[in-house]
Amino acid sequence: MIPLGAFIAVSAVLFFIGVAGVLVRRNAVVILMCVELMLNATNLALVAFSRKAGMIDERGSVFVVFVFVVAAAEVAVGLAIVLSLYRNRPTVDVDEVHAMKG
Amino acid sequence: MSFDILQSVLFALLTVGIVGAAAGVVLMKRITGSALLMAFAFLCNAGMFLLLGAETVAAFQVLIYVGAITVLILYGVMFTPQQDRRYGLFFQTQTPWAALLVAPIGIFVAFFAFSFADPGKALPGGGDLVPLATSVFGDFAFPFEVASVLLLAAMIGAIVLVKRDEE
Repeated sequence: MIPLGAFIAVSAVLFFIGVAGVLVRRNAVVILMCVELMLNATNLALVAFSRKAGMIDERGSVFVVFVFVVAAAEVAVGLAIVLSLYRNRPTVDVDEVHAMKG
Repeated sequence: MSFDILQSVLFALLTVGIVGAAAGVVLMKRITGSALLMAFAFLCNAGMFLLLGAETVAAFQVLIYVGAITVLILYGVMFTPQQDRRYGLFFQTQTPWAALLVAPIGIFVAFFAFSFADPGKALPGGGDLVPLATSVFGDFAFPFEVASVLLLAAMIGAIVLVKRDEE
């Protein structure tokens, strides 16, 4: 039987890799990918707690379904923003996009 | 007994797959490779869900993440140019300081993760579809409807954002 902590550790590592990617990479599409990795880490933690904490119902998995919905909405709107940004100025480098910076 | 060993081996393989693929997403220079490795990480995560006994969530994971979101991201990769710059300038000059700052946090998080006590009680057998559906359409019926409205709003918003002005 694999302990709960192992799943949570994998989830934490995945989340940290996602955070590192969001901070390090400058391509807007790759940043969206790394956000998806972070959401996946959250899903893994939710399912692990849901299955291992002795609950009879599936509350954790229900939240995973909602995370799926939010992730789908986020990636759709995010890619639309990236594409309209690329249409207005030919770059997807987030360092070169500072029109709204004060 | 042998199933326990098999489970541990599968867990180790999936862990290597998830962490390796996620690291590849961050480190890889070509964003097409990043996108495909991201799909592989999602697939390994679905395997984790299977290992945890959440078959329905694993099926959703494959359908939504490995199917839909990866295709969407690949369209984004297709419509945008590939670039040469890999990393932000901030982390190129301050690597030792960043490592010094991150290492204690990482060690703390690792200890915190392994401190969760395992209740050691397995769930009764059978699929998770019935309890999942009972929860979604019972207690969470209203949030479920709100989520559908959110998806509709996101769809309309995406269409409006990428629509060309016909003038």
